[in-house]
Amino acid sequence: MKLFWFETYKIFSRWRTYISFGFIALIVIMTEVVMKLSAHEILYRMMRSFQKDFLIFGNVLNGWFITAFIMNSLHIHIPFFITLVAGDIVSNEATSGTVRLLLIRPPSRSKIITAKYLTTLFYTTGLVIFLGLICITLGLLLFGKGDLIMNYQTKFRLVLIPEAEVPLRMLLAFTAAVWSMTVVASLAFLFSTLAENSIGPIIGTMAVVIVFLVLGNFPFDFFRMLSPYLFTTYTVFWQRFFDQPIPWQEIAKSAVILGLHNIGLFLIAFIVFNRKDITS
Amino acid sequence: MEAYSNKEVVLRTHGLSKKFGKRWAARDLNLEVYRGDVFCFLGPNGAGKSTTIRMILTLLTPSAGSIEIFGMDLHKHRGAVLSRVCGIVEKADFYLYLSAYKNLEILGSMTRRVQKEEIMEALEVVGLTSRAFEKVKTFSHGMKQRLGIAQALLTKPQLIILDEPTAGLDPQGMKEVRGLIKELANEKGMTIFLSSHLLSEVELVATRMAVINRGELIAQGFVSELLDKEPIEYSVQVSPFDSAVELLGKLTWVEVLAAEDGKIELRVEPGRASELNRFLVSNHVEVLSFYPHRTLEDFFLKITEGTSEI
Repeated sequence: MKLFWFETYKIFSRWRTYISFGFIALIVIMTEVVMKLSAHEILYRMMRSFQKDFLIFGNVLNGWFITAFIMNSLHIHIPFFITLVAGDIVSNEATSGTVRLLLIRPPSRSKIITAKYLTTLFYTTGLVIFLGLICITLGLLLFGKGDLIMNYQTKFRLVLIPEAEVPLRMLLAFTAAVWSMTVVASLAFLFSTLAENSIGPIIGTMAVVIVFLVLGNFPFDFFRMLSPYLFTTYTVFWQRFFDQPIPWQEIAKSAVILGLHNIGLFLIAFIVFNRKDITS
Repeated sequence: MEAYSNKEVVLRTHGLSKKFGKRWAARDLNLEVYRGDVFCFLGPNGAGKSTTIRMILTLLTPSAGSIEIFGMDLHKHRGAVLSRVCGIVEKADFYLYLSAYKNLEILGSMTRRVQKEEIMEALEVVGLTSRAFEKVKTFSHGMKQRLGIAQALLTKPQLIILDEPTAGLDPQGMKEVRGLIKELANEKGMTIFLSSHLLSEVELVATRMAVINRGELIAQGFVSELLDKEPIEYSVQVSPFDSAVELLGKLTWVEVLAAEDGKIELRVEPGRASELNRFLVSNHVEVLSFYPHRTLEDFFLKITEGTSEI
């Protein structure tokens, strides 16, 4: 616990850590303000595809919808912000030479790497919760409340979630988003234990995320066959909480697969760190 | 020195070896450090000093051999051993974005619970009290090195391991750090294991020494004993010059190597330097200066067959 506290103190003593929070706040504020100013245009585009078939009343462009929209748009950005800290947390100790001070202390390497990993998960959770809180708070302030309408264009489906159900669904979706992002954090963390500088793990993780996303979205049979083996296929499982009914089985499967990724990636990092010769 | 037979061995290595690829960085090292020693591990750059220290501090896993500290096997009792040991490997690096105080609090608390007073006391010993709450990124190299010693002191270790503690320091910084090392050994009774490629440092601070080259142990023992094995060269300035040269030529235990410009270079049998000084004075020769000439360097070069990079 003491090691976890020290690690947390260290990462929150650095400006780099607040870059992510600052940029997320900036992106969300800008997006929501622009959406507020362009509300009519957005509503027109939203309704265009189904207004000839449906009559829709009420506050469609509400805070909940805006939150879901932003979550959907930031699935590349958030991993990048996570890697800024997760990709740096171990490698930075090697770069700055402090690893030599750290590893000659009585706590074992196993305890140190576990504390660092838990800190990475804590930061990841904090970042996603921050995104959720700022999206929802600002969204509700600027756009008000209402039922959540999700338009799954690729599946030709329109889902309506009554306002009373939305807060719980949001909570579940953000919990799932945290779970998804921990895999990105675990990957960056593993790279961080392998490298002796921060740039490699950050670029490496982003390269894997982007390549996997691209491969998973190619409309060819070969890539469709590959898709179940790419963790990015499962990281958007938080969207399933905005489905009707909620596909629990599919969600559970994704959560387990991502969990196994977390365990596997951490175990490799754990073994690498324990066996590593510190020559820097 | 006979008293050493009863002294506790604080650190002992048995056949300690480390191989990187096909190259042995350290090979079959058998070191013994006794309680209260200022033990200097001497060798040229790349001799294997840092590799050995890193193995002793668990940063590197030995390819062969074992390390025993306070009578315990380091591998089996790592936590218990390291709670009584502290070290600085190469240069003292800290979290630059944290204050000196916070660095010590974090690093010290990894060994045991440390109080604010203890941190301030450690900073006072190294003369950094006034900079306690400033970020380490504003510190000079010498200040970081002193902070390194402060963090070593904070945990009240019985054995301090320092890898080239004066490297990169200016003469004033070197003097301060050496002074601190002596103080720790003499006043606080700590055992110090330090590596150096500065031969003068060994003469100034060490009681015992080991010499390593190309990963292999060449010699180990008391600094004075090892030095006394070989005749020592001196430079003397005397007046009158000519009669002094003539007098010295008559002594069988003195070899005049060079005599010019009022300065005589000579080699004296071990332990007879003061006798030579008395001889010159009693024969009405004024001794203006009399100092040993790179004694340890010569010794080192002899035993490493001139292969070092001094």
